[in-house]
Amino acid sequence: MHQFIISFARWVQSTHLGVGILESTWAFPYVQLTHFTGLSLFIGTNLALDLRMMGIGNKNQTAAQLSDSVFAWNWVGFVIAITGGFMLFSTAALTYVANPSFDVKLSMLIPTALIVHIFNQQKVRTWGQTPETPGIAKLAGLVELLLWLSVVSAAVLIPYFAAEP
Amino acid sequence: MGFSLWLQRNAFVVWVNGSVVTASSLEIIHYVGFFLLVGATAIMDLRVMGVAAKRQSATQLAEQVFPWMWTGLVLATISGFLMYASDATEYLHNSVFHHKLYLCVLGIIFAVIVRRNVPKWDKLPAIPGIAKLIALVSLVLWVATILWGVDVPALTGVG
Repeated sequence: MHQFIISFARWVQSTHLGVGILESTWAFPYVQLTHFTGLSLFIGTNLALDLRMMGIGNKNQTAAQLSDSVFAWNWVGFVIAITGGFMLFSTAALTYVANPSFDVKLSMLIPTALIVHIFNQQKVRTWGQTPETPGIAKLAGLVELLLWLSVVSAAVLIPYFAAEP
Repeated sequence: MGFSLWLQRNAFVVWVNGSVVTASSLEIIHYVGFFLLVGATAIMDLRVMGVAAKRQSATQLAEQVFPWMWTGLVLATISGFLMYASDATEYLHNSVFHHKLYLCVLGIIFAVIVRRNVPKWDKLPAIPGIAKLIALVSLVLWVATILWGVDVPALTGVG
């Protein structure tokens, strides 16, 4: 598995995509822009829903209504974010896979947060029917909120864990 | 220059940017803050443009997401100011950074325009074209703010 990941990273880094972004003088900021714009849509709406499930925020609308309103763009944001993220990864794939913070983010935190997110999106349809959400919804919202904060933290810490040259 | 230098040497500014835990916390707060800010604004703008959340009125959605837009703005501004402060003298003549701030101020002005007019637009038979244009400009302004934001380190090497 480890060998496979290394050879996959080496291949990605050598593709036209990775090399092209790296050699271009203007592409890199646009790739970052793609990643951050997608994340704003995805994480921004995730956090708003988590907080609403926790009972924080305007209660004129139910959590189920909020989830329904943001559902489509929430996933559009996710697709934009992983597209930008994969392009960022392709510029230095071998360096990223050797980074402990990146590995924890991608192999543990993102899959866990995504599972809880999909679970919550399903459950909020029943939990979120009333203005006041039940205790279990508050707990589920808090768990997802903390998971996304961990994902962002692990991402921010990637440069801090970069191996010394 | 005097003010920038004073700010940069301020004991709290030096401390908060001085350790991995506090410096990375500033970055985390800045990202989470602008995700909330841009995410909430984008959903609102897309609703006004008629391509999101059509089962809810624009006013209802505004009541729901604007508190998070302001919360995100406060988080991003405080953390952003403290990060700026540690390199204040370098940002003094950094035009990319200045443009990012102008874009951000314009984005806030457009968000206020949207928030104030949404109840009025909702009472009309259909959301008017000018409202959709304002929402589009708002969306473009925030995307541009992120672009100029990532351009600060990419083009000027500061931050």
